[in-house]
Amino acid sequence: MDLARRLFMTQTARLTAGAAFMPLAGVAQAGINDQPPRRGGDPAKRYAMLIDLRRCIGCQACTVSCHIENAAPLGKFRTIVSQYEVENEETGELAQFMLPRLCNHCDNPPCVPVCPVQATFQREDGIVVVDADRCVGCAYCVQACPYDARFINERTQTADKCTFCAHRLEAGLLPACVESCVGGARIIGDMNDPDSQISRMIDEHFDELKVLQPEKNTVPHVFYLGMDERFIDRPQAAPGLWDVRDHDGQEMGYEYAEH
Amino acid sequence: MNMQSIELIAPRYQLAWQPWAVQYFFLVALSYTTLWLALPGAVFGVQRWKPAARLALVAAASTAIVAPVSLLADLHQPLRFWHFYAHFTPWSWMSLGSIGMPLFVVLTLALAWLVWREPMAERAQEQGFVGWVARIARLGDWVSPRWLIVLTGLGAFAASLFVALYTGYEVAVLKGRPLWHTDFLPVMFVVTGLIGAAGLLLVLDRFTGTRAADLRADPALADAPRDRPFSRQMLKVLLIACLLAGGTAAAWFGVGLTQRDPSVAAALDSVQTNPDWRWTTFRAVGAGGVLFLAVLILLLRPRIRGFGWVLGLMALHTAWMFRWVVLMNVQTVQRQTAGFSEYSLSLGSSGLLGIIGSFGLWLAVLMLIDIFVPWRAALGGAAEPSVSSDIKGVPSHG
Ligand code: SF4
Ligand code: SF4
Repeated sequence: MDLARRLFMTQTARLTAGAAFMPLAGVAQAGINDQPPRRGGDPAKRYAMLIDLRRCIGCQACTVSCHIENAAPLGKFRTIVSQYEVENEETGELAQFMLPRLCNHCDNPPCVPVCPVQATFQREDGIVVVDADRCVGCAYCVQACPYDARFINERTQTADKCTFCAHRLEAGLLPACVESCVGGARIIGDMNDPDSQISRMIDEHFDELKVLQPEKNTVPHVFYLGMDERFIDRPQAAPGLWDVRDHDGQEMGYEYAEH
Repeated sequence: MNMQSIELIAPRYQLAWQPWAVQYFFLVALSYTTLWLALPGAVFGVQRWKPAARLALVAAASTAIVAPVSLLADLHQPLRFWHFYAHFTPWSWMSLGSIGMPLFVVLTLALAWLVWREPMAERAQEQGFVGWVARIARLGDWVSPRWLIVLTGLGAFAASLFVALYTGYEVAVLKGRPLWHTDFLPVMFVVTGLIGAAGLLLVLDRFTGTRAADLRADPALADAPRDRPFSRQMLKVLLIACLLAGGTAAAWFGVGLTQRDPSVAAALDSVQTNPDWRWTTFRAVGAGGVLFLAVLILLLRPRIRGFGWVLGLMALHTAWMFRWVVLMNVQTVQRQTAGFSEYSLSLGSSGLLGIIGSFGLWLAVLMLIDIFVPWRAALGGAAEPSVSSDIKGVPSHG
């Protein structure tokens, strides 16, 4: 399904499932594994992120600043930039491809309805969050996310993921990754505000925008500009860093391994 | 353009569901399938099924006790289990399971209790601790009413159907893992569970002494010692379960090839790109085929049927391995990054120790039941064989 249709579906969904109809829609969708009603957050807003890959230099500044801001445990990341070295088999030419990844704050997030205690939920502004005080650490949501965007934080023993730095947004700040991005590749904003930078960029680049694994019908709200189609799904690539082994076949060390 | 790419940097996470999950899915499947094997004899009084029902009740009750323990252990916050009940979530399979599974456990144990009360009456006359426990556990001197047994049995059966459904769909509903996202998976959990159940009863038959007692009790069996109705029956169940499993797997593959079921596509992709997966597939298909053939041979040749319990162990291994591959190996497939994250079994409580521990717990429960419940005498069975009367030395065949 192409982005246009997907966005259109989102729009209609928003129009028909307006605030007044929300409780009704909630009852109507009480089937198993259907999306529960959203709660909390500003119903007037829909946060989304646009990542301009043409501006990403793969410096991992976002990875590091997020790691510090959100105190993720070593080796676990709420956002990370996947880096690929691509070789043209005919010419031997090498190219780099960078893919910053984070939670897509999907409009149809499969991680939400599975949660047995409603600890994972979607706010009305579209941000998907985890209530760590309620989470039982069953990791069902980790299995449900098709993007490997979630993990179990071994310090809190609960599910952990990107929150678009909701705590910073509420204080009028930008998310740590957006703030620290040297190339200005990450743009966050309110899609419902036609004057926001993200809305203007979506209008401008509508046909070029791509999302990850669109066929999963999760309706991701992290849009990529300058995206190579071959990386939309799980790429056919050989993992590099994992193959660091000594003569005995033992792993020599892993940069992000637990210490 | 042909391209070859290397992913330079990729985080590698631990698997979110640990071997505890495999233990839970294995034990709970054994529990509901052995309950099914117990029903004809224990609830509906079918004579032919009573020997199987005696063993099956022990199996169903013991696994029903241990299964929830492994489930709890797979939570990273086990002490918060009460959140399941404080925040009931009817749209989540796991939450529905948190209601249905305890219901199943309670009803299964209640059924076993109602059936076992009868042979316990005699025990209650005895002196000492065992007799005292029997007196307490019978909760008064009354005969378990037939209607209550039937009602509890039907209730346990209904709950077991729900548990089979929920454990299957809890996994199959996850579109984030294409290999799990197929309606064939719940069916496969049930039929491989049945393979394990028949296997478990064959093994229990061998090691609880019911087989030896049978051979002693029935002089007719002395001539054809291995041609017992029970082993014939269980081998038949095993054969049917193998056929069903093979049929389900074939149907999954066939439907997948014609209608492009993404789970088949994902499986083919994994098998093509990963030698470990290729090896696992060969081994699984090979083990299934060998088991099927061996069961067939034993059914045709009663003389070597004394090895039924070996096939029982193989069947248990098949049922366990299926869950291991489906739940653990599938988790190693990365979803947005390249390759597979390797999984090596840790030795701690989340790994090997956990597996051994839950089997150890199951053995302990089994032994406790064996000590306190005269289950061999239930449903009109012969009372415990006293070892000293065995002076004629009937061979116990293996
Ligand atoms: S990317 Fe994953 S964790 Fe984020 S909303 Fe979508 S399914 Fe949930
Ligand atoms: S790990 Fe926590 S947030 Fe995720 S499904 Fe389980 S209880 Fe919900």
